Formats: sequence, C-alpha cells, structure tokens
Amino acid sequence: MPEPVTEMKQMVALEYAVRPSPLTLDYLGKLRAGRIVGHRCPECELVYVPPRGFCQICVVPTQTPEHEVAIADRGTVTSFTVVDPIQYHGQTEREVYALASILLDGASGTLGQQRIADVPLEQVRMGLRVEAVWIPEAERKSDLRDQGAMLGGSIRHWRPSGEPDTPLSAFQEHIV
Amino acid sequence: MRDVAIVSFAQVRGDPASGLPEVLLLVPAIRDAIARSGIPRRSIGFTCSGSCDYLAGQPFAFVQNLDATGAWPPIAESHVEMDGAWAFYEAWVRLQHGDIDTALVFASGRSSLCNLREVLCLQLDPYYLSPLWVDDVALAALQAQAVLAATGRTEKDLAEIAARCRRDARANPFAEVSGDEDSAALLAQPYVASPLRAHDIPATGDGAAALVMVAGERARELCERPAWIRGLDHRVDPQYPGVRDLARCRSAEIAAARAGVASAPIEVAELMTQFPHEEILLRQALGLGEGVVVNPSGGPLTAHPVMATGLVRIGEAFRQINEHGRRRVLAHAASGPCLQQNLVCVLESETEAD
Repeated sequence: MPEPVTEMKQMVALEYAVRPSPLTLDYLGKLRAGRIVGHRCPECELVYVPPRGFCQICVVPTQTPEHEVAIADRGTVTSFTVVDPIQYHGQTEREVYALASILLDGASGTLGQQRIADVPLEQVRMGLRVEAVWIPEAERKSDLRDQGAMLGGSIRHWRPSGEPDTPLSAFQEHIV
Repeated sequence: MRDVAIVSFAQVRGDPASGLPEVLLLVPAIRDAIARSGIPRRSIGFTCSGSCDYLAGQPFAFVQNLDATGAWPPIAESHVEMDGAWAFYEAWVRLQHGDIDTALVFASGRSSLCNLREVLCLQLDPYYLSPLWVDDVALAALQAQAVLAATGRTEKDLAEIAARCRRDARANPFAEVSGDEDSAALLAQPYVASPLRAHDIPATGDGAAALVMVAGERARELCERPAWIRGLDHRVDPQYPGVRDLARCRSAEIAAARAGVASAPIEVAELMTQFPHEEILLRQALGLGEGVVVNPSGGPLTAHPVMATGLVRIGEAFRQINEHGRRRVLAHAASGPCLQQNLVCVLESETEAD
C-alpha cells in the first residue's frame, strides 16, 4: 500500500494592478510641494485628510477645488504607542521608537502611525504639540504604501513644537 | 410571504483608466437609487451588499465600500462575498421578518485590477482542480461541448446568440462591447477555447449597481410601477464539475420550480449567461419557450461588471416592468464554475391580491 497523502502544497501567487486615484495623486503631488491638504464637506463641514472625494457621513461629493482646504503641518498627539521592534526577517527598525495619532490643526480626524522623534520617549505624551520635519524637497517621493496617511514619503517625522500642551478637553472626542 | 417590490435601480460603469476607487463608483449608484426611491437615506431599514475582496486584492476591501452609504448614525447592514443578487436575496429574507419595510442593496467590483481568470481558479476545490489552474473559460468550453453534443445545437447557434446580444447592446449605455456582425462573421474568428471564440466570452468591466426594495403598500405610494417579487429562490450544484452532467442545470431547474416560473408566461428574461451555450441550457432548465425575449440589455456577454452582473439582471428586469410596461419577467444570477449556483427571481407588475 502506498502511503496515504496527508498534506499537499499549492503555491498561489496573484498579481494586481495598482492604479492610484486622481485624488490620491493630487494629494501626493501637493505633499511633495510641502503642502498638506484636505477636503471640507459643504454640508457638515468636517475636514477629511487625506481627501476622500466625498463626505462619508453626508455622502456629498467633494471632488472640486472649492472643497480643498489647507491643513497645518503641526498638531496635537492624541494617542501614542512605544514600539520595541522584534527582529524578524526583513525588519528594518533597530531601536525603540514612538508612533502617534496626530490631530492636525484644521483637520477633523486624527492621522495614525505618525513617527515621533527628536524627543526622549518618556516625554511623548497625549496633548503634546508637534510639527512636521519635512524631507528635503528633492528627496521627497509619493509613497502609496505608507500606512500613515501616505505622509511618509515627504515628512520624515514629527517633533515637539515647543508650544504649550493642548488640554485633554480639546481632543478627548478623538480618543478611541 | 410579505409582498416586497423593487422601487428603484441605478447603475454606474467604471472607467479602469480613471483609477477611481470602488467606493466612488458606488457613491453615485447608491445616491441615484435612493433619490429615485423617494425614501430619505437615513430611514432605510437594512442595507446589504455584494462584492469580492479578491478582485481588488485587499482584505476587507468591502468595508471601504460601506462609506458610500453614509453609515452614521450606525446602520443595520450585511455583506455577502458573492454577486449582489445574493445580497438582494438576503435583503428580501430580512424584509420577511416584518419589522422593517425598506432595504438598500448594492454591488460593485473593479475586476480590471486583477487577472480575473486566475482569480476564478481559486473558487475551485483546492485538491483536484485549483492546482491545475483550470480557469472559468476552459471549464465553460467543456460545458459548451457537452451542451452542443446533448442538444444537437452547433457553433452557429452560439454565434447567433452572441450576434444578437451584441446588436441589443448597442442601446445599452453600460455595455462594454457591441456590434452589428452576422453570425458568419463571428464564426470566422479563431477559438479562444474550443468551441468558444472571443465574442463568446463575457466582456468584463468595472462597475456598481444599487436598488431599493420596499414592503407592502408603501411601494405603490413611492413608485408608479413597482416590480413585485413573486418568486425568489437559489440552489447550488456540487462544487466539483466532474460529478455533474454538464448538459443539465439541476440547480436552476429546482430554483425555477421553487420560484414558480411555470405558473404563468414569462415575457422577458434577464439571464446571467456569461457564455452563449448557457442561454441554451438555461432556456431549457427554466422552461423558457422560444417566445421569451432573453437579455434585451445585451446581457453579460456585452457587459459583465463582475460581482454586480447578477444584481444588474434584477435591475434590468425591474426596468422591464417599471419603464417598458411588462407584466411578468424573470431575472437570473449565477455563481461558480459552469452555472454551479443559480438564483431565479420572478417579478410581476401586480401582487397576488391585485
């Protein structure tokens, strides 16, 4: 009797096209030029960063220039985590670092996965005011894969701005 | 059973080159379907959608689509990893519970992002067929051979069905292809997978569709000519095509019987026939005589927005009643290889009480 088959391997690879939306390309182009932009809903006035092309609450399109608003490259840390990177294969991080959710001035929602640097980790805190540290313009690139709202191709990290902390009451509705 | 009617339908064709995300195809489809229904968006009782994450290659891609419903305050919703026709079925069942009266159903897909023929291999059984990478067109060609052998029909019959669909598609603004060739010109084309030629293979595209359904008398208040769901059923054949008689479609036969297709004449049938031999097979399985008009829209051979195609059949059948004054029509949706799973819906211009 031949041995019964108990296991079989099937290698599956699927290829996909990535076609960035014109909204995304526009947002990334402005980011490379040093500008963060959002879209303001004409009905509820919520400001979405990055722009979504429509309001997810009112379902109103926001695809024309009059909906665009400038967003400051500074804001408030609403939440953060300190990451001690496990050295799995392919890991590029070596040192302990901090990632934060930041509520940018002018935006209605926070941006997650933002790198905080130029500050001792024990001083990273909720309410901390931060500002963007931009990558030199010639070195900026459009990074669709950056998990932090695609900012990572143009903004290296965020550092304390030196402003007084934002009181909890001003951002507590953004803490999940 | 509670009387439930379709009161509005909307469809959007995607342009693959535009790069617009799927949710932005759904925004106008849902907006138009809701606007045409006359129901305030936030008062809709239940929302159900159909799509497939494998098309975009993103886990939980369907969650992003929900943004097109404006789901705040929170809504009651569900999703099927299937064609939107099955979302329609779930919404109909939900309305039978009796506590809500309105439902929104939508479906969408951007198959242009993937190699669909490869992706569809993964719906096959993982031990015997999937490792062979036998794709949907190859399996359809096997079924076409079986149907021609069993019925005595020929490749000319296939070409005539394809030619008719391409002619009808000229009037469909959502068609991916159309044409005015005669069957002889189509027969002169080379095979893709014998006996199927390029025009025998569905014209896949990106797209979205949405419809609103309403229970009871309110449907009549909202819509001058609603399409009442008089029969709705779906059945499935075994997954492995090798154990089936491919020249028959048992699941479609049972679904048609359960949906009461034979109880009165059908005027028009919108069938999810992705290949012309499927029309021969389904006419037989559903008991549709030669007098029944099949796929006046051109059907999936000319417009196949994958994951929305079945819901579009239901929407087209609704339009036959709502816009074209028909009284009894049929919509059909299919899933899986070789018409493995079949959904049959009978729509009428009047309820039983009428």
